[in-house]
Amino acid sequence: MNFLRHRVVGFYEILEAMGMASMNSSGESLKLCVFDLRRGQNEGQELDKILFFYPPDVTFSTQLSVIGLSEGLITFTRLFSPEAACEVIEAERHSHVFHEAEPDIWMVMVVEKNKEIEAIWRVDALQKVLKEVHSLFVMFHGSVRSLLDKEPSGGLIRSHLYPFITDYLNDLSVGKKLQLPSFRETLKERGTVQMLTLARDAALEVQSLVGVLDSCAGTLRCHSVLLYHDLLVSTTLSPDDTVDLFTYSVMRLTSNALSSGTSSWSYLRKGTSLSQTSSRSISPQLLGSSDSLPSNGNDAGRVIRPLQHNKWSKGKDGFLVTDIWGKDATPTIWLHQRQERVHLLAYQHKCLTLVLLVPTEAIVNGELDISFVKHQVTENGTAKILKVEEKLSKGWGGENAYHVSGYRYLLVDNDMEVSRASPSGKVATLAKETLLAVNKLRETVDTEKSRTKEEKDMEICIRAKNNAWAIARVTRGKELYMALEKASDTLLDATDSVQSFSNRYCNGTFSMD
Amino acid sequence: MPSSSQTSVGSGALSHAYLQHPSLRCNVPESRGLFYDDANRLLICVTSSQVFSWETVTFNPDVSPSVDSIPEGPILSIRFSLDKKVIAVQRSDCEIQFFHRETKQTLTHKCKAGSESILGFFWSDSPLCDLAVVKTSGMDLFACDSAMNLRLVETKKVNVNWYIYTHESRLVLLASGLQCKTITGFQLSTAGVVRLPKFEMTLATTESNSKPIISPGDVHLITVYGRIYCLQVDMEAMLLHTYRFYRDAVVQQGSLPIYSSKLSVSVVDNLLLVHQIDAKVVIIYDLFVDSRAPVSAPLPLLWRGYQGSDTSSQQENEGTESSTSSENIVMYEDAWTFLVPDLILDQTNKVLWRVHLDLEAISASSSDRSSLLEFLQRRKLEANKAKQLCLGIARALILERRPATQVTQAIDVLVTAYSYSVKAGIYKELKNEKTTATTPTNDGASPDNERGRASGSSIDEEEEVEMNLPSGSADEQQESQLSSPAISPDELYKFVFASVEEAMVEESDYLVAIITEFLRSISAEKLKVDLNIYVMTVRLLAHSKRFAELSLFTTNKIIEPSKEVALQLLESGGQNLRVRKLGLDMLRQLSLHHEYISSLVQDGYYLEALRYAQKRKVTSVRSSLFLEAAFASNDMQHLAAILRVLSELIPGFKETSEYYTFHGLLNETSSSVAV
Repeated sequence: MNFLRHRVVGFYEILEAMGMASMNSSGESLKLCVFDLRRGQNEGQELDKILFFYPPDVTFSTQLSVIGLSEGLITFTRLFSPEAACEVIEAERHSHVFHEAEPDIWMVMVVEKNKEIEAIWRVDALQKVLKEVHSLFVMFHGSVRSLLDKEPSGGLIRSHLYPFITDYLNDLSVGKKLQLPSFRETLKERGTVQMLTLARDAALEVQSLVGVLDSCAGTLRCHSVLLYHDLLVSTTLSPDDTVDLFTYSVMRLTSNALSSGTSSWSYLRKGTSLSQTSSRSISPQLLGSSDSLPSNGNDAGRVIRPLQHNKWSKGKDGFLVTDIWGKDATPTIWLHQRQERVHLLAYQHKCLTLVLLVPTEAIVNGELDISFVKHQVTENGTAKILKVEEKLSKGWGGENAYHVSGYRYLLVDNDMEVSRASPSGKVATLAKETLLAVNKLRETVDTEKSRTKEEKDMEICIRAKNNAWAIARVTRGKELYMALEKASDTLLDATDSVQSFSNRYCNGTFSMD
Repeated sequence: MPSSSQTSVGSGALSHAYLQHPSLRCNVPESRGLFYDDANRLLICVTSSQVFSWETVTFNPDVSPSVDSIPEGPILSIRFSLDKKVIAVQRSDCEIQFFHRETKQTLTHKCKAGSESILGFFWSDSPLCDLAVVKTSGMDLFACDSAMNLRLVETKKVNVNWYIYTHESRLVLLASGLQCKTITGFQLSTAGVVRLPKFEMTLATTESNSKPIISPGDVHLITVYGRIYCLQVDMEAMLLHTYRFYRDAVVQQGSLPIYSSKLSVSVVDNLLLVHQIDAKVVIIYDLFVDSRAPVSAPLPLLWRGYQGSDTSSQQENEGTESSTSSENIVMYEDAWTFLVPDLILDQTNKVLWRVHLDLEAISASSSDRSSLLEFLQRRKLEANKAKQLCLGIARALILERRPATQVTQAIDVLVTAYSYSVKAGIYKELKNEKTTATTPTNDGASPDNERGRASGSSIDEEEEVEMNLPSGSADEQQESQLSSPAISPDELYKFVFASVEEAMVEESDYLVAIITEFLRSISAEKLKVDLNIYVMTVRLLAHSKRFAELSLFTTNKIIEPSKEVALQLLESGGQNLRVRKLGLDMLRQLSLHHEYISSLVQDGYYLEALRYAQKRKVTSVRSSLFLEAAFASNDMQHLAAILRVLSELIPGFKETSEYYTFHGLLNETSSSVAV
């Protein structure tokens, strides 16, 4: 599909020139829409296909023109590539980023290109934003299609998508603007999990605790995800489900998330103190009054908004409580791998967060059974929880634990959907030119990767304007990106540095010669 | 045989303790009395002029007794010296005679007639004295040289009504006072003579009996787990009081209930057996645990014939006059004497029995599995049986799918016990002891040796207050050729986990949880285990498709890397590429170049494989593997490249038929590619 990236540019410019793409009407630098290609195919019913549009205050005609254009591009590119239609359209003033979240359910993000240097993004990173918001949505509400099937009028899905995506975008807002992942975040990978490295004895204690959690609901096995600070300690879920739950936990559940604002170093893009405080002020602007959300009067009554801020708190018994799902109601989420709905219980001891997923079949008597499970956790698990917390806090290296001096790196394991990177504070010391070079490098690798489905080994070195080295090594599903700013280094020195990094920190995975 | 005793003697009834056929028969014509020399463990039968003695340690009915001749005369008590060269006979309350067995020398020791009388005597291995004579006025300690010259070393002045002494505790208790409840104790150990603090025994009074008197038969000295206890019957209160002796204190440690007006005790394998003689039952207590609850319910003491095939024939013979049960045994007959620690002398039938425990029956009647395992791990006499029972219990716990916490507890017990026995050196030492036969006498044992053995026989760690006691049962341990019941992690893997795997394959979640706990337990004790358990864990996790956890287990090294594990990962990775990659990574990290390269080629990564082979100079992988893979992929450039690399890598490659074949194929297909 990649060759289309360039071809279509010309086509789009014609459209833009024809005035069909009236993008600037609202003055917003970002537009995000969700639409269903199976709907509104008859003239006069075009509005049907719109499931979500941001910003919400633009006229229907503007919305229709964006969606109409996107639809046209999808239809057009499908002629050449029926399996995978367009991913991105680069126009002179805008980038259109496409994501087919579910069959015929499309998410499109339109970002304005302006002269500001900060507005340099990597398409793949923007696509990951779309993927993330969608998979989080599915985790809480089920697939878009299933909600459409439930209520073909589309009211139900719209009433769910609107607050959900708006709440999600809140996390991205800085001041009055939405901050999209720019080149400054190029040494981060959205949609992956950051893990805590465990010593064997700690890992055994953790696994022993997981064993106890497994059997907290009797014979039906419970799944669990454990986090320490904002890092994953263990999971019994598939990588996909783990990523979703991990993302949500770091956004809303971990000790750092609860004591919002104290964490300024998190690996994730989770709002820093800046965005956290500002989001509150911007919230009415984005959402209107939160009470006046469209309720649509359907039988579900109220719409659950799991991404709302400051809705979780730690109860006296150590379990986290929220009224998002209603008063005294236990949250439920949808597990992708197992295709089942589970109850979510979160327990916190100091910086250790346990997310326990109880199969709905195990909860027959509602809150009575829930409190039984909670009792089981405290009864059988407390000693082990204390032990695990003790072990982890002893081995805790602090926010810069995974900093390797002299290196700024990003390590991605696509198989396990795991990444590790230099701490943001350290990455921030890199020169702008270096970051831009790494961003460019990553774009190149993205392109290479999407060209062939097969896993290929590759190595790319780029010398930046400031003489820094940006190096990428990819081998069998694992990727290493690295910025080396020692200007005197030759290419040989640089590759030697990568080599020794690979040997020391990656078990020699990237040692190529 | 009276029919009433028939049921209790039969081999089919339930019991936890039993007497085992054959007995040691000591029926000498014209016998005038049977004695037991507990220091030498000799059963002694005397006639008017002869002394017959049997070794009870070996307990071999076929061995004939050794016979000594001594002058005629009354015999109140008789004991061999610890080197067995001298026989000492108490003739009256003021005379002890000594006979040298080799030189036939004779010596007579007398005390002041009238003013004091001799209550008894015993030989000692303390460095201070060789002989102690207890008199109503106190205790005289004598040194005795090889020429049998007695030299008074020290006198302990105490008014004594009666005394008790056991050689295994080296402790003598002297009772004084009107009720005989004031006790003065001395330990004549290899470390010297230690006077214990005087203490009063507890005696309840009733209206009918305001001044009960303690008789020597009411007091028992026992040695369990290297600790010394005194047990005292308080008939008015129907309690058996226990006192534990420390170096500088005597502490009462609870009481056991009594269900009989007559009572005696035995110690078997560090367990206390209280014979409730009227009720004809025996109750077993384990003083190691703080609880004074019995190990099991009261059950009769039974008589058993040969184990195994003989049991059936025994039952057939019931009621008839069987050749093997010629003696008419009546359980807890009046003529029974209970000897320290585990012997019963039947004066009527002139036979000696040893009391045995039926560990199997005890385990069968116990419901608390982890306490039972702890109990079995403390057993030494039948270590192998205890071990087998433990393994059986562990297997059953898993197969019955008991809650993981229960199984974990059980595993912890076994692992901790093993770790302890390795640290204490018991696990290996006992194996050595089997080969080096040490004489069970006092001579060879230096104080250090004795002490070491004493602590070795004790699982307890309270050494700060423990008296340094030679373990009386050390001799016995050697005799029964025991090893420790401790189970090594390897054995646990082999006889528990591996043996249940097949049955539990559909419950692999559960089994993995148990194995994790096991690994945690052995890791906490810094022990190692057969790496096959990791192979098994990989198999189980893959079976239940828990790939995420398999990856965590591997990266966190809960599953320790090894070639076997890597190959299992590759095999299990047939279903999941991620798992296969874990196996490949492990091979590479272990520098198993040959396996790594072969697996890469197998996965179609022949270029990567070849590059790796070139880098590591690995030539052991068949070159045809690369060539065939490249040829199959139909990429002639690759094939050409491979031919060239191989020519450089393998000397003489260009002369092989393989080179010729593929070079030919290359030329046929494409003439444009140069090699």
